[in-house]
Amino acid sequence: MVKKDKISYREVLLLHKRGLMIFWRICPGIFLSRACYALMTGITPYITIYLSARLVGELAGERDIRQIVIWVAAILAAGLLLGIGSGCIKRWKLYENASIWQDKDRVLIDKLLNMDFSVMDDPETHHLLAQIQQNSIWGGVGIYKIPELFEKSISSMISILCAISLTIGLFAEKVPKTAGMLCILNHPLWIGVLSVLLLGTAMLVIIIYKRINTYFEECTKEAELGNRVWGFFMFEMTDMERAMDMRIYNQQDIGIHYFQKHNNYVMALKHLAKGKMGLMKGLAAAVAVSFQGVIDLFVCMKAWAGAFDIGMATQYIGAVTALYSGVETLVQTYGILQNNAPFLRTLFEFLDIPNLMYQGSLTVEKRQDQRYEIEFKDVSFKYPSSKQWALRHISMRFHIGERLAIVGENGSGKTTFIKLLCRLYDPTEGVILLNGIDIRKYNYREYMSVFAVVFQDFQLLSCSLGENMAAGKSYEKEKVEQCLIKADFGDRLRKLPKGLETCLYKHFDKEGIELSGGEAQKIALARALYKDAPFAILDEPTAALDPEAEQKVYEKFNEIAGDKTAIYISHRLSSCRLCDVVAVFDRGRIIQYGSHEQLLEETEGKYYQLWYAQAQYYIEEQERQKMWNNLIADET
Amino acid sequence: MRRKIEKSKYNIWQNVRYMLRMACRSRKSGVIVLCVLTSILQVFSSLTGMLVTPVILRCVEERALFSELMWTIAAFAVVMMALSGVITYVDKNSQLDKVTVRRDILLDLIKKDCTTSYPNLESQAVGKMRRRAYNSVSGNSGATEAVWITLSDIIKSAGGFILYLLMLTAVDPVIIIVTASTAAAGYGLNCYTKNWKYRHKEEVSSYGNKRWHITRRAKDIRLAKDLRIFGMESWLYDMYESVMTLYRGHLRKRERVCLAVDVLNALLVFCRNGIAYFYLISMTLRQGLPVSEFLLYFAAVGGFTTWIGGILDGFGKLYEHSLDLSMLREYLELPEMFLFDEGESIDEFMANCSKEGGGAEGCLELKNVSFRYPGAKEDVLHHINLVIKPGEKLAIVGLNGAGKTTLVKLLCGFYDPTEGEVLFCGKNVRSLNRKEYYSLFSAVFQNFSVLEVTLAENVAQTDVDIEMERVRECIEKAGLTERIERLPAGYETHIGRKVYEDGIELSGGEMQRLMLARALYKDAPIIVLDEPTAALDPLAEHDIYQKYSDMTGKRTSIYISHRLASTRFCDRIIYLKKGQIAESGTHEELLRANGEYACLFEVQSKYYGEEKWERKYS
Repeated sequence: MVKKDKISYREVLLLHKRGLMIFWRICPGIFLSRACYALMTGITPYITIYLSARLVGELAGERDIRQIVIWVAAILAAGLLLGIGSGCIKRWKLYENASIWQDKDRVLIDKLLNMDFSVMDDPETHHLLAQIQQNSIWGGVGIYKIPELFEKSISSMISILCAISLTIGLFAEKVPKTAGMLCILNHPLWIGVLSVLLLGTAMLVIIIYKRINTYFEECTKEAELGNRVWGFFMFEMTDMERAMDMRIYNQQDIGIHYFQKHNNYVMALKHLAKGKMGLMKGLAAAVAVSFQGVIDLFVCMKAWAGAFDIGMATQYIGAVTALYSGVETLVQTYGILQNNAPFLRTLFEFLDIPNLMYQGSLTVEKRQDQRYEIEFKDVSFKYPSSKQWALRHISMRFHIGERLAIVGENGSGKTTFIKLLCRLYDPTEGVILLNGIDIRKYNYREYMSVFAVVFQDFQLLSCSLGENMAAGKSYEKEKVEQCLIKADFGDRLRKLPKGLETCLYKHFDKEGIELSGGEAQKIALARALYKDAPFAILDEPTAALDPEAEQKVYEKFNEIAGDKTAIYISHRLSSCRLCDVVAVFDRGRIIQYGSHEQLLEETEGKYYQLWYAQAQYYIEEQERQKMWNNLIADET
Repeated sequence: MRRKIEKSKYNIWQNVRYMLRMACRSRKSGVIVLCVLTSILQVFSSLTGMLVTPVILRCVEERALFSELMWTIAAFAVVMMALSGVITYVDKNSQLDKVTVRRDILLDLIKKDCTTSYPNLESQAVGKMRRRAYNSVSGNSGATEAVWITLSDIIKSAGGFILYLLMLTAVDPVIIIVTASTAAAGYGLNCYTKNWKYRHKEEVSSYGNKRWHITRRAKDIRLAKDLRIFGMESWLYDMYESVMTLYRGHLRKRERVCLAVDVLNALLVFCRNGIAYFYLISMTLRQGLPVSEFLLYFAAVGGFTTWIGGILDGFGKLYEHSLDLSMLREYLELPEMFLFDEGESIDEFMANCSKEGGGAEGCLELKNVSFRYPGAKEDVLHHINLVIKPGEKLAIVGLNGAGKTTLVKLLCGFYDPTEGEVLFCGKNVRSLNRKEYYSLFSAVFQNFSVLEVTLAENVAQTDVDIEMERVRECIEKAGLTERIERLPAGYETHIGRKVYEDGIELSGGEMQRLMLARALYKDAPIIVLDEPTAALDPLAEHDIYQKYSDMTGKRTSIYISHRLASTRFCDRIIYLKKGQIAESGTHEELLRANGEYACLFEVQSKYYGEEKWERKYS
């Protein structure tokens, strides 16, 4: 939720200043162009007002043809030049604006790409991010308002300055003594009176608007929820992935009920529009126009009394009207700044999330013999937002070149273990050592170079195959091809018309190829091979495959992994037989550790239970019965 | 304009009438009245705005009575205030109604999406139409809402046009001709830039999509792991920068074109004003007109230009709205290939069926069914013959790509076969009410749709009259009771965080159990489970299998798996290979037959080292 408490004037300005500096660094042009544009639009109307006033004055007075021609020519020339000039600046501004608009997530991306994984994974961070995005989608508020606000405040200030310089005469030129009573208009007090009226009207309008906002706030909460319900059902209900359930379970009915249930705020708003809120808005609009009457009155009285001619009168009317709208815009802009401040606060709260991981500077020694040794020393871990230990007192050492299988029930801490190993999280207690040194002391990137991981939800990007393999713009063609062939992707690769240049998926390239689950998986494996890191980890990357294909993947990988240390996680335990050691996780602890054969000997152990649960399908009925009885006997 | 090439089913007037009908349907016919009212008021407001300075200056110029001057100014001030107040009030009041009308149409669209014949969703042509249809309802600028403003602008401009025309005829027709032609030329120039932008729309949206895609990936927590392990940051930045460079290049071109048009426009204004000044000044001098009249006419020339521009622009926009609305209506009226309410009612026909008692009640049959995806070169299923008796527990097994899911989609009525027929109780499914047909199935598919509402509502799939007892029972059967009762809000807990901020996220395994509970709650005669245990660990999976017959009870059940042997608890197993039923029978029968099933089983069981078990227990 956006904090609604009062934010001091100072903070409002400081927040916007910070936002402005962020933009300034990304793209200073946006402010330069807008400043120029503000200057141009600020001055233009006054030039026209001034010149036409001269023409009107001439027409009202001497009607000297030469003078008239001069003024008309001046007006036309000024119009032409200003038109072309402001056109140029406007185009510059729009260019900068469009590019910044496209670039608007840049600030968030910069932060996200440099964030600790643990911070990014925190629901709090996710929540803040979602809020920021929602603000910018629904309200268009936040940091992207800053350039516009910047322009508005500059142009209104320029406008006020110009207007004042054109209005001096209004008070300086005196009504002649002959006008009798109207001489009172010469009194300097009028400057004060008019200024007070001008500011007063502007303030009054603002006050009424504030009042209107309080009405609106009554239904903000409901409206926000309503909008979210709309957003969800509109974008999600029509999703292809949901289509079958939608039909089987008639889900649209719930959706439509929810729409209607959460649509009350529209009724409330309507009621407000008909009543208080609408009337107040009308009033505000009327008040805003009223000052026009005051100006007309004062200027015409003075002109009528003979202080200046009609030409001057048009100038003064034009200038004071513009002055009023300048003041109004300025006050309004401040109001918007105030409203925008809480959204900026949310953004900065996000940008200020600190990275908590210690970043060391040690480099990882490059060794030809792949002798990297990792050890977990009494490691315990809790997720930041959780009270339960996800891992507890884990101690183990990876032997070089060994194959390790990690098994366990859902939620037993297998994936968390991998996350700690790859330093996506730091342990809450205990240390992890690489070649005897705490992994926190290594430079993060250096440490990452030790691992090649294929996660359960591995991701490929919509770029060329080669780039995907190297996870970067440039790649070694031969090595990439070799790795793909090793990963059993060779056949398909040969059939690709553009070879390694072929784009994956169709987001970027209409000729891109779609991949089946198995093919994507082969590429992910090949990518891990290409990285050629001493530790290879497969975290259940095969859930989408049938058992045979899966087994093939493991066998193949085992073969190509060579002298690397490899860690496998799988729900299908058949892969355990390929490994030297199996570690059984249960509720965050390693409860069994040993070779497949050893662990099967422990008939009361978890591993036996897990293995049996799957192996039973492949055993004759009698055997099954016997073993099941045996298992139950063991448990009790 | 380019877009004129497009042919649409409905013309502008038909679409305007359609919108009027829609407004009446939503009981918001007030929108129409308010639109007309706003336009009339706006014409008057602009007229007063134009008159005020010349009229009061005339009082000054002609040295009218001081009191007259005062009254004139006061009268103008009051009229302007009143008009501006009323316009704002009326506008505010019509705003929400406009939104309501649009949202009602959007609801129609969502309903269509959720119920249209399934193959429509996969058709590219329909998809294109659908995206255009959504364009016209998304946001305040969508055609279904913006059309009101456009209509009101047209009325306003037309009214203003007539008034100002009358005023200017008093001066000189030449002025009218000059003004009208410059306005038209200005409109032409605007069209040029618009066309230019339209021609490059694809290009721009391709940049937008790419950028959007990259940023979405950068924010994706799933990529975050790979990104760090493989050090992909600089790659993402490279991609991002290359897209932005292209886009900026395009922008430079676009702004250059626009600038040229801006310059031409400035020249046009220069000419128009020059001619207007020349005429009006010479008239003023010749006829000795007061300066206030000169001001009035000059303002009228400007105003007249605006009105003509307004009319042309308004029709331009209306034309575009009309194209969008046409697309919307075509999509909403898209003919359905399946029969819904027009189809034969299943309840009636079942009643007849049991009376006759042909033994075919609740029987599902595939008769010589082949299926091919539209545009594909090969059949996915060939000549399948299969009878599923009521109460039978059937398993369909096979390797990836054997056609299991397609077969299920045919059985559930998401596709109609390319050849052959699917029969329910001996009736071709094509002739039945498809909506009722769907109600015969409870299903857990691989992609499921969890709504971000409460747990109980997700199980019951309704938000009214939920039988809580039954919800608890089904949750218990699916093995989720412990997890749910630990939650503070229990069954009232919301799922997901997109709608309710206090929602919870369930893990993959928990989600699958929830889906199972939902299928049980629905209590339909046929239950379909497509790999419902893929995200479960071996013990949890085993648990589900143990409870399987208890859960499915007397219902017909169809269980799909790619693990051959996991389905022994079924009455009959069908082994699917390359779109054909290769073998069928119980697990034991299939093994005895020593065919392909047995062969594959052999391979798979090797992974689990049968011989070792034998050694230990024999």
